[in-house]
Amino acid sequence: MDALALIFSLALPWLLGIAVLLALGWPRGESPGVALALNAGFGYGVGAVLLTLWMRAASVVGMAFGWISIALPLTLATAVLFFYAARKRPALWSEAKSGVAALFDSELSRWQRIVWYALLGWLAVRFALLATEVALRPLYPWDAWVQWATKARVWYELGRIAPFVREDVWLAGVPGAWFDASPNYPATVPLLQVWTCVALGRWDDSAMNWPWLAVLLSLTVAIYGALRGEGVAPLVALIGAYFVASLPLLDIHVALAGYADLPMGAVYTLAALATYRWCLRRDPRDGTLALFLAIACPLIKTPGWVWALTLLPGVVVALLPRRGLRILGIAAAASALVLLFLARTNTVILGYQMHLNFEPAWAQLVKSYFLMGNWNLLWYGVIAILIVGARHILKPPLVPLTVITVAGLAFLLFVFAFTEAAAWLADLTTANRATIHLAPLLVVLGTLTWHRLALPAALPVPRLAERCEPDAA
Amino acid sequence: MATWLFGASALICVTLYLAMTVQGSWLTSAPTLHSVASDLIVNRGSSQLRPEGLALLAPDPAGTTLVSVKTALRSSDYPVVAWSTLGVPDQVEVALLWQNSYEPSRIFNRRLDVEAGRVQPYALDNDPNWKGVISGLALGIRGSFAEPIIIRGVTVKTMSARELLGDRVREWFTFEPWSGSSINTLIGGADVQDLPISFTFAVIVGLAALMVAALARWRPQWVGTTGAVVIGGMFVAAWVVVDARWQWNLVRQAAITTDRYAGKSWRERHLAAEDGVVFAFIEKVRARLPPPPVRVFMVGDEHYYRDRGAYYLYPYNVFFSPWVNAMPPASAVRPGDYMVVFQRRGVQYDPARKLLRWDANPPVSAELLLAEGGSALFKIN
Repeated sequence: MDALALIFSLALPWLLGIAVLLALGWPRGESPGVALALNAGFGYGVGAVLLTLWMRAASVVGMAFGWISIALPLTLATAVLFFYAARKRPALWSEAKSGVAALFDSELSRWQRIVWYALLGWLAVRFALLATEVALRPLYPWDAWVQWATKARVWYELGRIAPFVREDVWLAGVPGAWFDASPNYPATVPLLQVWTCVALGRWDDSAMNWPWLAVLLSLTVAIYGALRGEGVAPLVALIGAYFVASLPLLDIHVALAGYADLPMGAVYTLAALATYRWCLRRDPRDGTLALFLAIACPLIKTPGWVWALTLLPGVVVALLPRRGLRILGIAAAASALVLLFLARTNTVILGYQMHLNFEPAWAQLVKSYFLMGNWNLLWYGVIAILIVGARHILKPPLVPLTVITVAGLAFLLFVFAFTEAAAWLADLTTANRATIHLAPLLVVLGTLTWHRLALPAALPVPRLAERCEPDAA
Repeated sequence: MATWLFGASALICVTLYLAMTVQGSWLTSAPTLHSVASDLIVNRGSSQLRPEGLALLAPDPAGTTLVSVKTALRSSDYPVVAWSTLGVPDQVEVALLWQNSYEPSRIFNRRLDVEAGRVQPYALDNDPNWKGVISGLALGIRGSFAEPIIIRGVTVKTMSARELLGDRVREWFTFEPWSGSSINTLIGGADVQDLPISFTFAVIVGLAALMVAALARWRPQWVGTTGAVVIGGMFVAAWVVVDARWQWNLVRQAAITTDRYAGKSWRERHLAAEDGVVFAFIEKVRARLPPPPVRVFMVGDEHYYRDRGAYYLYPYNVFFSPWVNAMPPASAVRPGDYMVVFQRRGVQYDPARKLLRWDANPPVSAELLLAEGGSALFKIN
């Protein structure tokens, strides 16, 4: 019975997300196999965010969390959306069937087929090992039980969202307010845990972490679909997805679930991929999805709004294909000057001290990225492929994804070099966790760049200007 | 072609590494000599044999600790001595001591470096007193230490090619169980590694890629247009090898997790966890508390236990100091509140007058509801 409840708790948001995407008619113009992978991959992220938004709304109107207030309306909504999508596209069911068939019957040579099934088997073992940890281990990592599950426990028992306040406010005796280590953190992650416990019918701080496994699984599928959507061969797309699923730090965040970094990384990656699709295709559905996921970023972690802003350079390059890079270059130079100014002055604006300390701990960062077991060969591969593929990454079709990734890297470097995170770098507490947000996108960019390098030179290279409206110039 | 180039690159890299690191003969019949904690003799200071090794508890009155082992080894076969230690503080001086067969009445010594609590291996191949048959080795520590120093054993190394390669592979596949820092970082094998696996395979692939580039330049007909595919294939192979190490680590961890928690209820799993003692105590506390949401203060000296205890108290309206060991101001505590004290020094209770006092605060009226092993639950009146 527990197993059924847990399966339902994962299936509901997943199916809800897929139903929304199908009703939206997304993705447009893809083959059934690619469309299936994209729907399945993006479905969980979209559905999980929608589920928690519904829970917020239920809490606001005073509906206690339960099967009736959450499961029933969202199941109905899912059914209605599927019905609507099926009416709009009568061939939906047969497309889904041929999509599943395409995933396993793609045109692969004998050795490619062997590698294909070996990789799938290897991934199945990986997910089974991670599932063992999720199923059995009580909530383990530190921040999970001082700032995330604290909220989940209170909200589950109360059946609604209750406020968490700062230490001084709590000590002053504000009624009906709780306290934990980070009272201002967003509600999405605890609400996902609450929903799992609601579905299960009891508080269980092991079982409530199954969403983390679903996040990594759906992200893996989404990356496969996104790479296939850009014309990457099935086996190479699977290898790209495998790279993401096998990144040790991402695996750890599933095995020792409870932190918001993996959900943050997944939603940001999906937002970036949807933005990239919009840049290339200008399909409003891609744009709507990208906007929704970008708005969802700050709902997961507070720095999510900065991650959402890193998507803008991609949009600029897409809208202004001729002048976009120059504008971004000028903006980057101006930002560098502002940073330099703030690092050398003690400016105070609206009472806020704007001085920035430049205290990077590069040695620890290099150790963490290149010498320890956190990232497999990711950083070696990224640096090599970006150097070798430099002539491709700043041209269509890769340039929007490149500038998004560079903006993300710039944000990471800013955090490491100028904020108190630099101090945390010294004892390796935060560098890797912050990098989780960007790592899947680095894999996608690296794989797409390699794909461009491996393409025969005779093939035409798509240009942004051919797909998008040219700018006024 | 990819396989051949990858193999050739690996061979070159391994040969270069060995050329730089082998200190004895490349091929030797002498075996590596290893003494475990139970083989060691403590000549000075107090100690205790524990599962994790020999725990040195305190030095002798002169401030010296000496651990030795009898040997009978040919110095020319063994250029390096490596003590396996944990928790060596920075303020102590550590030295390697030995006796040789030429001057058996003399004891030679060399100062050893300590990094991150570990004594570093010491190379003696150029030491004029490392000669003949070595009849005894010792580790000397001068200075006091508050926490026990763990000695796991000592290894006398041949530094031959086989031993070096064996050591590196052993370091890569050393099991790395979950710890408090796992969520932030993964070492990728042994705590200290001379040659991390990711770096090794990156260099091998990098050299192989240069070979492909060279062939594409000077023998293009050998590579054709598949250079990127060949390099990509080698990169994927290297990734899989490094990932295999990680998968193997996960398999071993899953076995431990299953052994510890499988077949248990949610409550039993918590009791079996690292903090089972806190969970059990908080269970008793909860049995004496009224239904939520009364206010409960959780205090304790140990950061982990304090925060963990607070977590188990939710959905009660818990207050705890998440980062520092601090008590709440007495002015913030109100009648009807509760206070859980988990192994916290400086909290005093006068049962006759029913007064609770901590730090420099004025006493507050309180009733003792539960006391057990240095921990207690109070109701503030």
